[in-house]
Amino acid sequence: MATTRAILIDITKCIGCRSCEQACKQIHGFPPETEQKLSPTALTVVEEREGRFVRRMCMNCQDPACASACLVGALRKTALGPVTYDSSRCIGCRYCIVACPFNVPRYEWTKLVPFVKKCDMCYDRQVQGQLPACVEACPVQASIAGGRDEILEEAQRRVLLDPKYVKHIYGSEEAGGTSLFFISDVPFEKLGFQSLSPQPMPVLTANALGDVPTVVLIGGSFLAGLYWITNRRKQVVWAEARETATRTGKDTERS
Amino acid sequence: MSRLSLPTDLYAEPRLPRVTLWRVIVAIIFGAGCYAAYARFALGFQQSTNLVDAQPWGLWVGLGTLCGVGISAGGFALAAAVYLLGLERYRPVVRAAVLLSFLGYLSVIVGMMYELGLPWRIWHPIVMWNRRSVLFEVSWCVMLYTTVLTFEFSPALVERIPWARPRNLYLRFHHEILVALVLSGAVLSSLHQSFLGGLYLLAQGKLDPLWYSASLPTLFYLSAVPAGLAATIMAVYLCNRSMNTSIQPAMLAELSHVVAPLLYVYALFRGIDLVTHGSAPYLWMWREETGLFWLEIVLFVIAPVLLLSQERIRNNTFHLYVTCSLVVMGFVTNRLNVAITAFERTSGFHYVPKWTEFALTLATVTAAIVAFHYAVKYLEILPKNPTRKNNRLADLRNVPQLVGAN
Repeated sequence: MATTRAILIDITKCIGCRSCEQACKQIHGFPPETEQKLSPTALTVVEEREGRFVRRMCMNCQDPACASACLVGALRKTALGPVTYDSSRCIGCRYCIVACPFNVPRYEWTKLVPFVKKCDMCYDRQVQGQLPACVEACPVQASIAGGRDEILEEAQRRVLLDPKYVKHIYGSEEAGGTSLFFISDVPFEKLGFQSLSPQPMPVLTANALGDVPTVVLIGGSFLAGLYWITNRRKQVVWAEARETATRTGKDTERS
Repeated sequence: MSRLSLPTDLYAEPRLPRVTLWRVIVAIIFGAGCYAAYARFALGFQQSTNLVDAQPWGLWVGLGTLCGVGISAGGFALAAAVYLLGLERYRPVVRAAVLLSFLGYLSVIVGMMYELGLPWRIWHPIVMWNRRSVLFEVSWCVMLYTTVLTFEFSPALVERIPWARPRNLYLRFHHEILVALVLSGAVLSSLHQSFLGGLYLLAQGKLDPLWYSASLPTLFYLSAVPAGLAATIMAVYLCNRSMNTSIQPAMLAELSHVVAPLLYVYALFRGIDLVTHGSAPYLWMWREETGLFWLEIVLFVIAPVLLLSQERIRNNTFHLYVTCSLVVMGFVTNRLNVAITAFERTSGFHYVPKWTEFALTLATVTAAIVAFHYAVKYLEILPKNPTRKNNRLADLRNVPQLVGAN
C-alpha cells in the first residue's frame, strides 16, 4: 500500500460509452441520469471535444491547492495518492473551490446542509486493494490505474512509441504534478485543458505565510520601540515639569 | 443627558418611539433582511443567492467580509497612533474609531453566520488547524483581534457600572494592559488585513491581470488603512452633524492630512506593481474590467488626492466628508473588483447578486450603524457639547405634535 496510486486516461482509446460515469454514480448512490458537466452528483463526466471523448474529474494533485486552502484540514493528500474530503470537518467556506486550478470541486448549492463534492479516486476501495470504480468499469482500458511510477512509465512508453500522440503527458508536471495523467493525439489546449505552470499552487501562499514570524517580530518590536521612545519623552517632560514646580515652590517659600 | 434640561421634554413624558423618515427606512431594511435570512436558512443558497461553482464567493465575501474588515482598519491605526506613537492630538477620536472597528468586526462575524455553508461549525478552526491555509491565519487573527477590540472598547461600558470598586478595579487593570492590547492589535490587524488579499494568491490564473499580483497582501494592507481613516472621519462628521458631539473641524482636517499621503503611497505601489507584472497593456484595453479598474482608481485615488490638495476642501467638514465617502466608495469598488469582476472573464459566468444577498448585507451594515448611533448617544464615545442642542432639528423633533405619529 505504500506506493502512490495514479490513473492514466488515454484519450485515443476512449469510445465515449460513459460506463465510468455510471459506475461512479452507482458506487456513490447518485441518480443514474447522465449529466453534461461535473456536479455534486456527477464526480466524473465524459465531455466530447474535437471528436474526442475527454473524461473530467478531480486531478488529485500531488500538492493540492484545495488542501492548502482548507482552513480546517478537511481536504487532505493521502500517502496513497487520493485527495480525500472529510465532511465532518468542513465549515462550508468554499475556499477550496476558489483555489482549485482545475475548477473541479462542486458545492451542494441546493441543500440546506451543503457539502463539497469531488472525486477521491475511490479512496476507500483503493485502501482495500481494489481499483477505482470508473477504471474497473472501463471496457476498453482507456483508463488504467496502478502505482504512480509505473503508470507514468507506461504513459511515457506509449507517447514515445506511437507518433500519433502529442509529446506531452498532461498531469506529469501541471501544478506540480497530479495523480491523473492524460495522453492524447489532439493538442491538450484544444480539448479544454488549461496550461498550468509546473509550480505547485501552495507555493503561492507559502511565501506570504512564511512572512508571519518576521512581521510579528519586526513589526512588534518596532512598535514597542516607538512606544518606549514616546513614553520616555513623556516621562522626561513630566519630570522636568515636576522639577520646575518644586523649584519655583522653594523660591516662593524663600521669598 | 442635556436633553433632560430642555423644557420641551416636559410634555413629551410617556411616548411611543417617534416615526421619522430614517426609522422607517431602517425598519424596511430590517424587514427585508429578515426575509433574506429566512430565505438563506430555510430555503438554502440556491434560493437566496446567485452563487455558483464558478463564482463561489460573491457579495457576502466581497462586501461583507473584505470591505467590513478593511473599513474597520481605522481602529488599530488610530489606537496605535495615540497609545504607541504618542500622537495625543488624535485622542478625542480614538474611542469612536475603536467602536467603529469593533462594530465592523462584529458585523463581519454576523456575516459569516450566513456566508458559511455550515455556520454552526464556525468554531472548527479553533480546534482543527491547517497552518498552510491563509484563511486559517485570517480566522485566527479575526478571532483574536475581535477579542482585543472588545477589551479596547470595554471601558466605555464599564464606566457605566455604578459600583465604584469593581469598576475602578477593572479600569485600572485595563489601563495596565492597554499598551500591550494596542500593540498586539496593530500586529494582528496588519497580518489579517494583508492576508485577506493573500487569500486570492491561490487564484492565480483565475484573477484578471489588473488585480492579480504577488503583492496582493501589501496592496490590501496599504488600501485598508486610508479607507479605515476615511470611514472614521465620515462617522465623526455624521455624529457632529446629527448628535450633540463636538469634535473640532480642525481635527478632521488634520486626519485628512494623513489620508492623502497614504493614498499617494498606495497609488505609487500599485502603479509600480502593475508595470512590473506586465499588466500595463490592460490599462488601456477597451474592456468592462478596465472600465471598472479606472472607476476604482478615480474614486479611491485620483479624485480624493486632487480634492484633499485643496485647502478649502480640507477646511470644510462637509466637503471633507464627501471626499472621504469617495475614498470609501473607491475602496469598496476595489474589493468588489477583486472578489467578483476579476473572476468573470476566466469563469465565463456573469455574477449579479440576488436581491436577498444585498438585503442581508445591508441589514447587517445598518444594524452596525444603528448600534454606533446609540453607543455615541448613551456612552462616552465622543466629547459631548453641552451648550449645543441635540441636533439641528432638535427644536422641531422635541415638539411631538409637529412630527410625532402618536
